[in-house]
Amino acid sequence: MLAELDGLLERAAARGATGAEAYAEQGTTTRVKVFEQEVEQLTQARRKGVGLRVLRDGSTGYAFSTDLAPAALDAVADRALANAAVTDPDEHSVLPEAQSPPALDVFDPRLATSGEDDKIELALSVERAALDEDPRVKLVEDTVYADGDIEVFIASSTGVRGSFRENHCYVFAYVLAEEDERVETGLSFSVGRSLAALEPRSCGAEAAQRACRLLGATKCRSMKATVVLDPFVAASFVSVLSSALTAEAVQKGRSLFAPLLGEVVAGAGVELADDGLHPDGLASAPFDAEGVPCRRTEVIAAGALASFLHNTYTAHKAGCASTGNATRASYHGSPGVGPTNLVVAGAATPLADIVGGIERGVLVTNAVGVHSGANPISGQFSVGINGVLIESGRLAAPVREVTLAGDIVAMLQGIVALGDDARWIPQGSVLTPSIVIEGMSIAGT
Amino acid sequence: MPFGAEIGGRDAVRLDDIDRALLQAIVERALRCGGDFAEVYVEERDALGLSLEDGKVERASGGRDFGAAVRVTSGDRTFHAYADDVTEGDLRQAADTVAAALRGGGAVGKVTALGAVREDPGLHPVAVPPESVAIVAKGALLHAADEAARAAGGEVQQVMGAYADGRVRVLIANSEGTFVRDDRTRTRFIISVVARRGDVIQTGYESLGKSRGFEILGEEEVSRLARAAAGKALAMLDACPAPAGMMPVVMANGFGGTLFHEACGHGLEADAVVKGASIYAGRLGEVVAAPIVSAFDDGSIPGEWGSAAFDDEGTPCRKTMVIEGGRLRAYLYDTLRARKDGVASTGNGRRQSYRHVPIPRMTTTYIGPGDAIADEIIAATKHGFYAKSLAGGQVEPASGSFVFGVAEGYLIEHGRVTAPLRGATLVGNGIEVLESIDMVAADLEVKSGLCGKDGQSVPVGTGQPTLRIARMTVGGTG
Repeated sequence: MLAELDGLLERAAARGATGAEAYAEQGTTTRVKVFEQEVEQLTQARRKGVGLRVLRDGSTGYAFSTDLAPAALDAVADRALANAAVTDPDEHSVLPEAQSPPALDVFDPRLATSGEDDKIELALSVERAALDEDPRVKLVEDTVYADGDIEVFIASSTGVRGSFRENHCYVFAYVLAEEDERVETGLSFSVGRSLAALEPRSCGAEAAQRACRLLGATKCRSMKATVVLDPFVAASFVSVLSSALTAEAVQKGRSLFAPLLGEVVAGAGVELADDGLHPDGLASAPFDAEGVPCRRTEVIAAGALASFLHNTYTAHKAGCASTGNATRASYHGSPGVGPTNLVVAGAATPLADIVGGIERGVLVTNAVGVHSGANPISGQFSVGINGVLIESGRLAAPVREVTLAGDIVAMLQGIVALGDDARWIPQGSVLTPSIVIEGMSIAGT
Repeated sequence: MPFGAEIGGRDAVRLDDIDRALLQAIVERALRCGGDFAEVYVEERDALGLSLEDGKVERASGGRDFGAAVRVTSGDRTFHAYADDVTEGDLRQAADTVAAALRGGGAVGKVTALGAVREDPGLHPVAVPPESVAIVAKGALLHAADEAARAAGGEVQQVMGAYADGRVRVLIANSEGTFVRDDRTRTRFIISVVARRGDVIQTGYESLGKSRGFEILGEEEVSRLARAAAGKALAMLDACPAPAGMMPVVMANGFGGTLFHEACGHGLEADAVVKGASIYAGRLGEVVAAPIVSAFDDGSIPGEWGSAAFDDEGTPCRKTMVIEGGRLRAYLYDTLRARKDGVASTGNGRRQSYRHVPIPRMTTTYIGPGDAIADEIIAATKHGFYAKSLAGGQVEPASGSFVFGVAEGYLIEHGRVTAPLRGATLVGNGIEVLESIDMVAADLEVKSGLCGKDGQSVPVGTGQPTLRIARMTVGGTG
């Protein structure tokens, strides 16, 4: 594949590009969906694609293709240069110099030799565990096993040249529980780089518990209260927050954090790190989407905003070094900037002690609309939540269809404690415990 | 479709190389170990996207994806294999993969010989193929929109614009003799404006998307969109925190249709229905909305963003009445779920690409027009909330519970729209909300969007006339 990438770089240079970066990925994926102990859907795929970023006179163009034949590569180079003709020149559009990436193992050979039958059985056992957990489980709407084995290649006119192979797998369950004709839902997942690393039984059982604990939920009265965001909910807030922590958002005037560097933005001495090298993080890689080595960056240290996340472009503009946060969803796009793995840490308090100390509050186990109801530019958010009331230090009745609203920075500053239950949430690749926040507005009846 | 639109350098030979004999052979090969149904789907997708921010066109990206998928179903089971950049050998291998996965060992599945190829009879004509337009003309539209938005007021701080066009050519052949070729062009323009006054930051958004060519856009049109987006952001600078609680909600036409899409439409998609995972399962003929509510899904509206001549299984797109006078009339089917329920597909089998399996999806979904007048609905509301445009929303199809952000909202006092309100969300349950609709205007408007489900994003239209929900929970901070 590196030969094809070299071919793209040569074609770009021959057409007048002053710089070029070629990127490719190829691999296989499997996805199994089971329902009522039968395979409902099995997808097997072979994927590949190549993308080319070119620079000419300070302008950038990008083109991609699934076809790697010589004529198709010619078309990619033609198209990338044609696209460069429409973008406005920008002195900060530069390619990174070659750097040696750290050794990082993100490939487990055991997964590559695992058979289809074992993968199907894993999914079936997740569904069984969910159904066995509680008689009120009506059905498991989605039970999925999925994996990917992807090799990434990069080469550039500035000497970047590298590749790595990454694999991962996960199981996922989405459970419907029913009582008195009311339905509640719950989900859970388990992730790893080998089948042995997955925990199908606890995944199924937890999804069932998360649905059943909400049965009988009603609206509650509007109030100011302490909320405990469980790791699932905390992770979705962290992942929305992270888009405002990129230097791109800051430089474009669309980050509420822009004026807050060095200020205390979070309570309880909370730490937030972007860790592209965490051994358990699914977003870990030796280098980022531009070939810059991944690393760990303290974003919030002891509650104070310490750094933004950079790729080569934003770093050049800010006069600093890239933090290895160039990202791309696939070969379809030129590099942007975004988080790798996000890790929330701080002094941990046992969850039981946290609940025991709350006179009136809500344990939030599900938030609906975090990505649409939270505005990372203005910092305002208003999301629908489900969860369990906390009264006089005890978990009480479940609640649903109430909203949690406020301002993101005020919410962060309202953090008073972190739980001792840190875990990885794969959506956004966030490692976080439960987060406890005082003085939140809850709108019910 | 104007095939004369093809321009020099368009290397489209490979999709056209795949003939009936090859497709027939792959369908037979996929069913040789049993199965009820087999399908080959070949897709060639050309896409171009430009984006502007800070007054600069920053990104210009385009390219081609070519690939194919083979699918076999047996009872409720689906086996799907796909490959990027296919050759004849890859198609055979994909057929072998699904045949082996079936583990049928049974009789060879029934195959009806492929008929003559059917094509779009010209329902969605493209006057100006986007690929025939110079890229600098597309970039010029972004600059025009940027200037128009910034001219709307000194408090406009940032303008983000995006232009996208695409042409997708598909070949679909299945064991029931369906053989379809479709050629779909779509063009879209999006503008998002950030306005700032002191510490207050607000955003406004507008978009236009059609299953048509470059003719839908011009400097005048994009400037109009830009001024509308800027107007929303500027109006919201004066906004007070929205009140919280139950109150009458008037939803303006257009963007409000996402409420029906999310709160009801997903529950009508037959995959959720056949699993019993929808609140609408088993309720055909029952009252699920107020008597003044009728609703439709229509993938055949000429040139609409969510339209096509055929769905992604080769079934012609059509208009389906889903709610008639408040009663549930129909679900939205793909072929797999239609077979299970013993009905015909409604032309709602859609897939993001060959990398995804078709599932029941909405096309353009809307609440039908009534006979009230929008201003009269507001005048008839003593105190309430006016949702002029919604941001995104999410729903749980199993319970019908939903939450929507309100992008632009106002207070209604004594029958008049007064103060702008920020930070509001609408929270509720699909059937309860539809049953609470007590006034519907005649001003139906459809908007374009992208809908995500099961990791697949497809173009959809959502629409509604101005209407009133008698009581609904507004979540706010005030």
